[in-house]
Formats: sequence, C-alpha cells, structure tokens
Amino acid sequence: MTDLKRRITETEAIERAKQGDEAAFETLYQLHKRRVYSLCLRMVSNPSQAEDLAQEAFLQLFRKIATFRGESAFSTWLHRMTVNVVLMQLRKKALPSVSLEETLESDDEAPRKEFGADDAKLRGSVDRLQLQRAIDRLPPGYRTIFVLHDVEGFEHNEIAEMVGCSIGNSKSQLHKARLKLRDYLKFMRAEKAKTG
Amino acid sequence: MKCSDVDRILPDIIDGKRVGGSHDPEIQSHLRSCPDCSELVADLQLIASEARQLSDCEDPPDRVWVRLAADLRAEGLIRDQELASARPVVVPGRSRRWSLVWLAPVAAAILAVGSYVVSHQAKPGITSPVANTTAQQTPAEVAPQAATSQAVAPQPNTQQAGTQQTAGLQELPHVAPPSTSAPPPQAKQPDINASAEEVELSPPTPGEDSQFLSEVSSRAPTMRVTYENQLRAVNNEIRETQAYISRNPGDVDARQHLLDVYQQKAMLYQMALDRIQ
Repeated sequence: MTDLKRRITETEAIERAKQGDEAAFETLYQLHKRRVYSLCLRMVSNPSQAEDLAQEAFLQLFRKIATFRGESAFSTWLHRMTVNVVLMQLRKKALPSVSLEETLESDDEAPRKEFGADDAKLRGSVDRLQLQRAIDRLPPGYRTIFVLHDVEGFEHNEIAEMVGCSIGNSKSQLHKARLKLRDYLKFMRAEKAKTG
Repeated sequence: MKCSDVDRILPDIIDGKRVGGSHDPEIQSHLRSCPDCSELVADLQLIASEARQLSDCEDPPDRVWVRLAADLRAEGLIRDQELASARPVVVPGRSRRWSLVWLAPVAAAILAVGSYVVSHQAKPGITSPVANTTAQQTPAEVAPQAATSQAVAPQPNTQQAGTQQTAGLQELPHVAPPSTSAPPPQAKQPDINASAEEVELSPPTPGEDSQFLSEVSSRAPTMRVTYENQLRAVNNEIRETQAYISRNPGDVDARQHLLDVYQQKAMLYQMALDRIQ
C-alpha cells in the first residue's frame, strides 16, 4: 500500500515536474535524495564531493525528465544516471593511482590470503562505521566495483557495461576488494585492541 | 578438495553462484577440516552481507536542494506559471550558480554583509571598503551595476562576478540606484562600530528574514514554506561557517565558503523578488 501510494505520488510528481512545478521537483528530490547521496558518498568517500555529484545527478535527471516515458522505474533511471555521473567524475580526475584499468591489472597489489594469523575472526565484530572506514581506504578502482556490487546490488554484467571493463575483471576486482577489506578490518580491530 | 581449490572458486562461493554454494558437500567437508578456509569464507560472507546495510543510510545536507533549486531556476526548468516573464536570463555553465548578474538591491545588501563579515574575519581590526560603503548608504542604495545592465552585457558581468569571488572579497559591486518598482525588504547592515567578533557571532539577519517571509506570504502564500526552508538551511550554514571561522580565522577556504553562502542567500532573496513583484 505504501509502495502504491508512493508510486502514485512519484508518477504525479514526474508529470508535474515536466510542467516545471517546483514542488514536484522537490518531491522527487526528497524521495530519492538519500539513495543518490549515499551512493555518491560511498563511491568517492568525500562528503563535499558527494554533495556536488548528487546535485549534478539530479540536475542531469531533471534536465531530461521530459523524455521520461515510464518504461523503466524512475529510481532505476536515476540510480544509473548517478553512477554515470560519479564514474565520469572519477575518470575526469585522471589520476594514475585511481585508474580503473590500472587497478584491474594490478595483481601485484592484490591482497593475499593470510593463513595462520593469530588475529580473531571478523564474525560479529564488523559494525557499519568500521566497514565504511575500511571502504574509504580502498583504492578507488576496487571501491567502485565493491560499492556497485555489494552495496548497491548491481550485477557484474551491469557493472562491466557502466565501468567499461569485462565481466571477469569486475569479478576479479570485487574479490580483491573484499580480501583487502578483510585485511583492513582485521588491522583496525588489532589497533583498537592495542589502544583499548 | 584443497585450499587452492577453494581459493579458486571463492568468489562464486561467497556470491552463492556455485551450485550449492558453501553448502556443497565437497566444500563443506573441506571447510570443516580447514579452519583457515572456513574463517576466510565466513569473513568474506560477513563483509558482503554487511555492505548491503550501508545502502541509503546518509541524507545530504539541506543546502544541496537549495543549490539544486537555484540551478533548476537558472536553467528555466522550474517555471512559475504566473510569473514566468519575470524570470532572469539564463547564464550557462556552473558559474551561473554564483552569478551576480541577477542580484537586486536586497541581495546586494546581503552580499555586502557577507563581504563585510568575511573581510573582517580575514583581517580583524581593519575597516574594509565594504563596511565604508554600506555604512554610508541604505540597502536600497546599494546595488550591483550588473543588476541594471544584465540584459545588455551579461557575460562581462559574469566574469566580473568570478573575478570578485577570487580577488579576496575586498571590493563591492559598483553602487547604483535600484530599478525595481516594489520596495524590497530591508536587509541587515553591518554595524561598523561592532568588533569583528560581534559581527561574526551575531545571528544572520533574523528580523529581515521575517519581513522577507511576510512579503512572500502576502504576495505568494504557496511559496512561503519553500523559501522558509531554504532560508533556514542557508542561515544554518552561515552560522556553522561563522563558528568554524571563529575557531579557524586563517582558513581562506572557509572564508570563501562563507561568502558563497551569503551569495546563496542573496540569490534566494532575488529569486523571491522576481516572483512576487
């Protein structure tokens, strides 16, 4: 019922927004701002930059809202557009260390599975803040794939299309990102134990 | 099955893509006998599952909508059916957000307050040109030249705005009489006798905001809530930035941000005037 009500509200808002109605734009923004901003924040790990990117994503969407025919869900459309805005921003930065391609090929830096370590299991000890901090420490290439797949729920074929890599690369990078996160989380846990 | 076999198919195990996933008897058998692999699988599954909880957990600050709405108006995407003809000229590019071209007297006065505060915070004890100008003139007398010449040469004015922004905020826009017919709400003037600290810590023009909102209420009642929310957001941002600058007086970026926020507030006033006149 809530979904139905929301859908109707959103549909009406879309039609009114096409007519230039400010309240309709604001309704759409309020409905989707959290998801869009969260996605941007996860991908760039910079609140100020995430604000700009979220704003740009909404702006691009609203510019094209007259062309929205409702074949796909509005949220899907917006979500995809947000990802593209963020990816474009990451590409524009053009920093060698954040190159997606370079990260894809950087097997040397891939985290290793460490057997026999005496650190405790992560199980039951990962909270949201810790995980977010660990994600923030990931190289941007790893972070992008991890956020798109594990946080946002995109499939590897979708990620490959958006990022411009192969499905195999997307899978490989995701795996390396998870291993790296595991190392970070264990390190953070050990540091906390030392200071605590 | 060996550890290396598990390692090879680990991603599929974690994502449940392998038939049977981690419940595959062969895998289960190995995991039971190998604590390292068992721990690894458990950890990676935990990371993947916890990551899903991170989605949609952060709200953007209110200022994002304020800026977005300003952009939408600037591009003509937000249209007021009754007052569409009063909308200002669209300025392309990102600089449109902070363009001074549209600023009317009240907006200029707010900007003057912002410049005064920023410049005093930058150099406490030094009386800025902004303060001298605004002290001698009423808000209605303070207006950027750009406001009266926007239709003639918007591009140079846009550049001028950018130059002023990057020039350290030491100069006010040129002063010219207002061309608007309706008397604008009065914006707060800086007290030149007040110390920099007093100016910094004073709340941002609450009386003038009330008067401004009253004007909006009487002429465009449906817009009041929108402008009230936006004004609240921008005032909060001013307060927070002022507080930060009082703790970090040497932070140039923060001073620039404070001026940006004052410009944002000025733009709000100007947009409202465009609509209700």
